[in-house]
Amino acid sequence: MNRKIKLLGLFIGAAVIGHVALVLAVPNVLMGVAMDRMSEGGTAINRFQFGDRTTEKSRRVVRPSPDLAYASCVYDLSKGPLLVTAAPSPGQGYVSLSVFAANTDNIAALDSSQYPQGIRFVLAMKGQASPAGERVIESPSARGIILDRRLAPTAEKFAEVDLARRADSCAPLAG
Amino acid sequence: MSADRKGSRWVTAGVVVAGLVVGTASGWFWLQKGMVQGESYAGWSGNSVTGSADADPWTRARVAVAGLLALTKEHAIYFTRNTDGSGARLREDCRYRVSGGAMPARWWSVTVYAADNYLPLNNDDALSFDATEVQPDPDGNWTAILAPSRPESGAWASTRKAGEFDITLRLYQPDAKAQADYGSIPMPKVERLDCGEQA
Repeated sequence: MNRKIKLLGLFIGAAVIGHVALVLAVPNVLMGVAMDRMSEGGTAINRFQFGDRTTEKSRRVVRPSPDLAYASCVYDLSKGPLLVTAAPSPGQGYVSLSVFAANTDNIAALDSSQYPQGIRFVLAMKGQASPAGERVIESPSARGIILDRRLAPTAEKFAEVDLARRADSCAPLAG
Repeated sequence: MSADRKGSRWVTAGVVVAGLVVGTASGWFWLQKGMVQGESYAGWSGNSVTGSADADPWTRARVAVAGLLALTKEHAIYFTRNTDGSGARLREDCRYRVSGGAMPARWWSVTVYAADNYLPLNNDDALSFDATEVQPDPDGNWTAILAPSRPESGAWASTRKAGEFDITLRLYQPDAKAQADYGSIPMPKVERLDCGEQA
């Protein structure tokens, strides 16, 4: 009897460990997959990649919005901070830059209603030196994703915002 | 080592492995329920900590599976549903009317997703409708159609090749009241019009 209770306890303990381990691992694993896809297998780091118009064939990230134009920068802060900028869309159309840590948390988002003239910030890890006068966003992880979303519900609108977003930058601080 | 002790160790190892498998499977099963869980608002599911560092590990994992790179509620609020107003599963072979009023956001959209969390594999170029497509009456009320073929007029999102699908409502730059109280948001209704060949 005593042994059966011990085995039952072991079974329940192992089940809890399996469940919790999966739940804790999933965000980091899926974020790793997304970073790999968005950086062309790790070759395009610290620079924006500009996605095509979202269609039924878009399969890089789940549940994409067909009304938005996406650009992404997979960042790596291990060698220092980045300067990130996004130009406004024509006609003050909606633009947002959002920063996601390696565990999927959205650690910052800045949009065109707050910054109609364009968005600019330094992305750094805690303890990294940043230039004075710049808005600094601290990432809890060395790696993550910056996402540029722009309202573009039609092909014509997409063409317009695609031109504007080519001025976006995500690059190591000069010097 | 006696045969009894050896056998006992195998039993223990088997119980631990079985526990790990059952625990992992239960976690995976739970995650597959996707975005259609959490707090419910007139048939729509949403979660006020989506994307946030305040999210518990289960919410974070669920969002990673079915809504990776979601914004926090200060920037966008997401709701999802997979049933019509009667509680029946949304299906490709039915037509639905979606109706609502003025939404408390700068811009909003409703998008169709297949069961794999991606857009349905049709080339109708009508995978969503948004605030710029509907034609509100003077009171701000609007309607749109979810159907596998284009209606004669009005806003439409195609459900062709969507199978059993769900829809996501996105509210971008929601107002302060909506952020503070999801229950204050006038959620759109989803009514089934007909099914089968008529659709």
